[in-house]
Amino acid sequence: MSSRIDGVTQVRDTTALAAALEAVLFTLNRAVTVLELQDILQSPLPDIEAAAAGLVEALRGRGLFLQRHQDQLQLVTDPAQADVVRRVLRPEYPSRLSPAAYETLAIIAYRQPLTRARIEEIRGVNCEAVLESLEEKGLITETGRLDAPGTPRLFGTTMKFLQILGLSGLDELPPLPQSASTSS
Amino acid sequence: MSPEITAELERDPVYIVRTPAFDGPIELLLTLAQRAEVDLKAVSLASLTDDYLQAIEREAPPLDQLAAFLVIGARLVQLKAAGLMPHAAVGEEEDLQAWEEAIKGRLEEYKRFKELAESLMRRHASGRFTFAGLLEPDVIPQARVQVSLDALASAFRQVLDRLPPAEQVTVEMEHVSLADKLEELRQMLAHHAQVNFSAIFRHARSRLEAVVTFLALLELIRIGEARVAQASAFGEITVYGQERKEAE
Repeated sequence: MSSRIDGVTQVRDTTALAAALEAVLFTLNRAVTVLELQDILQSPLPDIEAAAAGLVEALRGRGLFLQRHQDQLQLVTDPAQADVVRRVLRPEYPSRLSPAAYETLAIIAYRQPLTRARIEEIRGVNCEAVLESLEEKGLITETGRLDAPGTPRLFGTTMKFLQILGLSGLDELPPLPQSASTSS
Repeated sequence: MSPEITAELERDPVYIVRTPAFDGPIELLLTLAQRAEVDLKAVSLASLTDDYLQAIEREAPPLDQLAAFLVIGARLVQLKAAGLMPHAAVGEEEDLQAWEEAIKGRLEEYKRFKELAESLMRRHASGRFTFAGLLEPDVIPQARVQVSLDALASAFRQVLDRLPPAEQVTVEMEHVSLADKLEELRQMLAHHAQVNFSAIFRHARSRLEAVVTFLALLELIRIGEARVAQASAFGEITVYGQERKEAE
């Protein structure tokens, strides 16, 4: 009996926390880390995660969309509303990128965090210029340094990367095609 | 014969080896040597290369054929050297295979990412972006404009109406710079805590000068050196200097 009551309370709490999360993300209007949210919402990580999942559900079919890039959450418009938003906002967004840029982005998206040397190993060409340009466009960023001689920079994608592709998260990327000789 | 070997025979051979131990395309020699089906110890690689050097003396082959011979020749030397050192033989062979595997793996990996890159490109091109809320617009903060923009515009219109229309302006070179007007307004506001809107145009001799003065005023408002307010709905608009100045 009591467990049932607890269950009901839990559901109500998650719904309330999801609403609070929505309000916070709306007003901050930027990517917010789950760590920050624990502090703002005075709730432990599992509750934040549950609230985020609840918010995703609640926003289904609505004009807003919860985007998640690793430990960051951001409230954005739904990709299905891109046309109408573009009409009012007239944003300056990076137009088409070069094939080299998409290749580099793909490698980083699936293998992040990784060094320039690793990217160049896969692409077989120097990637300095293309990395610089992607970083300038805010599509990739330095996520840390590799603990190796020279402490090379590690690259990862950004929230903006998800925004230009209209993805809810990195897990929505098309699956990496498998091959027989996948290196360990 | 395996399909692999048949395929090699069908290709234009890089070089036909003619030695007592082996007679045929050099590609086939390498394939068979890698499978240990030909004993390289019986093949004199020195005389093979001597013959090749003579052959290219007579007729220079295309560069790609020359490069292919070098690669195949180098592998043959490596295999033969490995064969002459029994202990290292297995390791060397494995290294070579591991190296080939690594190259193959890398190419496959690259191919997969190339496909993914195309799918990212299609997704990007579809334009289904998500957008964050509008950032704070880069406009004049409300606190500095306590006058509706319409009122400000109509007050300026009145100033313009008092000045001679454009057609009547004598044709002469006028030099009215925004920088000068900015300085003029700054001086005016430094000496007076507040100035009537119309007063700042008192010395304007032409519409052009009035326009530049108005632009200078907007600029001062934008950078926070001036603000405008209107006491009553149709009252005179007052221009105030910096708050800092007032406090002094």
